[in-house]
Amino acid sequence: MLALNGFACGVLADGLAIDKVYHPYVDPLAWELEWRVTHADYNPASDIDREEVHRFGLAKAVAPELMLEGYLIAERSANQDLKIEGYELEALWQLTEQGEKSLDYGLLFELEKERGQNAWEGAASLLLERELGRYSVTANIELGYEWGEDIRDEWETGLALQARYRYRMILEPMLEFYLGEDTVGLGPAAQGNIRLGGMKSLHWQTAVVVGVDGTTPDYTLRGLLEYEF
Amino acid sequence: MAFVAGVASAQAAPEYTLVIRDHLFDPAELVIPSDTRVKLVVHNQDATPEEFESYELNREKVILGGRKATIYIGPLSPGTYPFFGEFNPRTAQGKVIVE
Repeated sequence: MLALNGFACGVLADGLAIDKVYHPYVDPLAWELEWRVTHADYNPASDIDREEVHRFGLAKAVAPELMLEGYLIAERSANQDLKIEGYELEALWQLTEQGEKSLDYGLLFELEKERGQNAWEGAASLLLERELGRYSVTANIELGYEWGEDIRDEWETGLALQARYRYRMILEPMLEFYLGEDTVGLGPAAQGNIRLGGMKSLHWQTAVVVGVDGTTPDYTLRGLLEYEF
Repeated sequence: MAFVAGVASAQAAPEYTLVIRDHLFDPAELVIPSDTRVKLVVHNQDATPEEFESYELNREKVILGGRKATIYIGPLSPGTYPFFGEFNPRTAQGKVIVE
């Protein structure tokens, strides 16, 4: 989940700030196997070209309102082959019943470590969601801190917004906005669910986020596949 | 029918009860008012868990065997909103009718 580098979801320290928008809900029985990827054009802030971040995660609720997820994080770029660069543990805590209040609330906690380096990142995010008929609006507000001998100690903040239209289960158009350190991005997105029977399903997401300032990559593509069983 | 409609208080959401028994929803049709948020208490009387699921209502909720769970739905426009039990989709089916 949100890791940030600026703020928005899950990111290696000082890496991409565009990742994923989290929703404040927990499925208490399902296991989730997740792969997600971001691919960015040249990043003026980090001077990295075609940076690609892959996350491989496994999630399970340990209580009706609490889900844990562990990730392996791999990166590659124009100058580097794909390799494992870090690890992350996330905890998603659902605070309210969906629809109970005017806003649904949740909290997300993340702890990430870069492989082979003394570089850590911790973050807490407030997750908010509001349903408006067939529309849903979600906000992730993140506060994080990076520390270690191999990284500059610093606080970071971030914001991710998502508007979703529940058109069909298999196709929901969305609009996403990301704001973080050296990142301001906006773009169209979509997601869907495919039921596979026997309590199994496949969830997908994709987005094209366009940088709207001089320090954000001109475009960042993101994708997600999540198998629930 | 286990449909216990009723308004808990002037300010609280109207409360309805839905029972899961023998992998069936009772009542299978629930009539609720339009433009009103309602509280749906689902009592799973089976020994096995069930998941109340409805894309139309934008809700998914697991109810463990022998337990109750609360689901808030609405406010909704008039219409019919189907729901089903994901663990027993062939038998556990119902709909919310908004009038």
